[in-house]
Amino acid sequence: MPNQFATPEPDEAVKLALRRIEESTARGEGSDVEGLAFNEVVVNMGPQHPSTHGVLRLVVTLDGELVKDVIPVIGYLHRCKEKIAEKRTYFQYIPIVDRTEYVAGMNCEWGYVMTVEKLAGIEPTRRAEFIRVIMAELNRIASHQVAVGTFTADMAPLGTAMVFYMFRDREYILDLLEEVSGARMMFNYFRFGGLRYDLPDGWVEKCRDLMKRLPKLIDEYEALVQDNAIFLQRCVGKGVITQQDIVDYGITGPNARASGVARDLRRTRPYSVYPELDFEVSTQTHGDVFDRYQVRMQEMRESVKIVEQCLDMLPKGPVQLGFLRAPYVITPPPGECYTSQENPRGEYGTYIVSDGSRYPYRLKFRDPCFCNLQLFPKLLRGNKIADAVAISGSIDMVLGGIDR
Amino acid sequence: MTDMVPNRSKMRYPKLEHFQEPNVITTTADFIFSWGRSHSVFPFTYGLACCAIEMLSSGFARFDIARYGMEVFRPTPRQCDLMIVAGTVNEKMAPVLKRLYDQMSEPKWVIAMGACAISGGPFYDGYNVVNGVDKIVPVDVYIPGCPPRPEALFQGLLELQIKIQQHKFVAETPKPAAQNPKPAAVTPAPVAGAEA
Amino acid sequence: MGLEIGTNPMDMDAIAARLAADFAAELTGVRVQEPDTVVARCERAALKDVARRLKAHAEIGYETLNFVAGVDKVRHLESVYHVYSWKTNTYLELHVEVPTAKAEVDTVCDVWPGADWHEREAWDMFGIRYLGHPDLRRILLKDDFVGHPLRKDYVDSAENHPYA
Repeated sequence: MPNQFATPEPDEAVKLALRRIEESTARGEGSDVEGLAFNEVVVNMGPQHPSTHGVLRLVVTLDGELVKDVIPVIGYLHRCKEKIAEKRTYFQYIPIVDRTEYVAGMNCEWGYVMTVEKLAGIEPTRRAEFIRVIMAELNRIASHQVAVGTFTADMAPLGTAMVFYMFRDREYILDLLEEVSGARMMFNYFRFGGLRYDLPDGWVEKCRDLMKRLPKLIDEYEALVQDNAIFLQRCVGKGVITQQDIVDYGITGPNARASGVARDLRRTRPYSVYPELDFEVSTQTHGDVFDRYQVRMQEMRESVKIVEQCLDMLPKGPVQLGFLRAPYVITPPPGECYTSQENPRGEYGTYIVSDGSRYPYRLKFRDPCFCNLQLFPKLLRGNKIADAVAISGSIDMVLGGIDR
Repeated sequence: MTDMVPNRSKMRYPKLEHFQEPNVITTTADFIFSWGRSHSVFPFTYGLACCAIEMLSSGFARFDIARYGMEVFRPTPRQCDLMIVAGTVNEKMAPVLKRLYDQMSEPKWVIAMGACAISGGPFYDGYNVVNGVDKIVPVDVYIPGCPPRPEALFQGLLELQIKIQQHKFVAETPKPAAQNPKPAAVTPAPVAGAEA
Repeated sequence: MGLEIGTNPMDMDAIAARLAADFAAELTGVRVQEPDTVVARCERAALKDVARRLKAHAEIGYETLNFVAGVDKVRHLESVYHVYSWKTNTYLELHVEVPTAKAEVDTVCDVWPGADWHEREAWDMFGIRYLGHPDLRRILLKDDFVGHPLRKDYVDSAENHPYA
């Protein structure tokens, strides 16, 4: 057993950071102080950290408080999802997809189920399509509440009331989702061709009731932090994502829309019944941390509108196709398919290669946070280390999706 | 004259030997310390995956963990008693987990929250997944669920409180078990009037 | 302002025909996969050139990389590039066959900078080496992991499980 109290050997990421320091010193950008070889210090914001939203490790090269370079190290939550997919039938894999982006389980399930339905040529029922939209949008609101709540909680460690208010209201949404599917977070609710359960009696009224109250609650959240001078100072102008970054790195979701790029897959690559719904794509112009926060708040309001419209337009009918048309063990014909949908974090896509058997041959998730995190070093360079918390919170990463 | 020297062995004051067995002083101290320890546990924020969100929810308004005195979640292991491992541990994370566990000071407890921490959960056959955190650190309470509801977490914490309260300063020395206990011989019934 | 998403003035068959015409030598099997993806196969040697020309194409510039996936089709590996065109709001799925024994292919990091981590993941999981990649090392698995797990012939070994 290695000595747990000894300084550990530098691993690849730390060695890379040290090599970069040596290179910059060799280039002449070393220390400006007599007697010091170089200015920089390599600090580990380790996988266990209160503010990194999961097990993300940042190897930060600091010059005093200024960040010279940051190397994100991921993989501390790699759970072999893509290999496990090859050992489970398509149906058995549905609960595991929930756990990819665990705060937005309904959206992740939908992405997977949509791809398999396309491969197998199954059309879901119309009532199921509307209920799917309702569930996905409710989960979008809950996910944004977690995202913005933990973002503000990190900036003043649990000192803001905002995170308490947001989690309190998230419980109302989770109550609704629990009534429908039986679980608070890992729903296992979507099925090929429809849904597992229909809406229980009285659910529509409860949902309408909550949607009437939510806009006022969202106003409450904004009133807590929007005029706070310290919040504004920490957020405005920091971590600007330019439109060139969006093109280069494939940034999607609120991170892209905050920079003025109105790309929302519900509009640009419409799926399900979104073409029949009336909602606006929320954008802002500057692309900094504050704009990303504002886009998320706006999106919560738009989601409320979408849910209300769907509740009004909800048709009668079955929510399942029956096991003749959508059997439990489906064997899609050989082929490939990629579909994507608008996750609260961006474009969440599933690429499935099928070989005609009942197990997927290859399943790949195109995770939005994986692509967004690539930009993080560029955003953080030149800022202070305290901005790392604000910027990483605003990018909204869920390590379950990044590491899969 | 030698009778005037007090015989120390007969003097009645507490000796060290008296504290090698439980007595009223040690049991009172046990009661006070375990009351303090069990009602103000400092948990370590070791949320790895989905169970971490349920752990967070249990800390906030609806399921209030502060009513058990455990709202002081500290990110540094040096200040914590309880490590709630909430989420899947994989081979890359395992050395980090062991290191953080070693940095906690005694007495320390570990709760394995969720199916992944107990036995690998839905990812048990992954090439990178450690099937259960008890392969790395000793676990005191297992809380099943995927993820366990906050109420389930509270039940586990209450079980842990009971376990903490059983912590003793001085334990009774166990009596040695009899070697090869022979079955009792059948004694014949006494006959009236015969020799004993 | 700035980046606009096109409303696809060309329909899918026109896009496929245009690609087949412009890249007649390098792309084979150009077909349309409903509703907005063109699928094509590319030669390994021509990948870099094709990537540059696809990005710089006047009418259908594929400027953004969506993902790079590795697939293990037992006789050979495949590196799948999924790219997006803002002008036409369509996708292109490019399959590049890579031999299993010497799994090397040119990197596209200089064309699409976002390919960095995706190629590292394909290296990590499949062992496809991307020549010219600035920093090709494991991303999701620990540094001393032995083997490439998503290959079909991967066998779980005890040396990858010191803690189990």
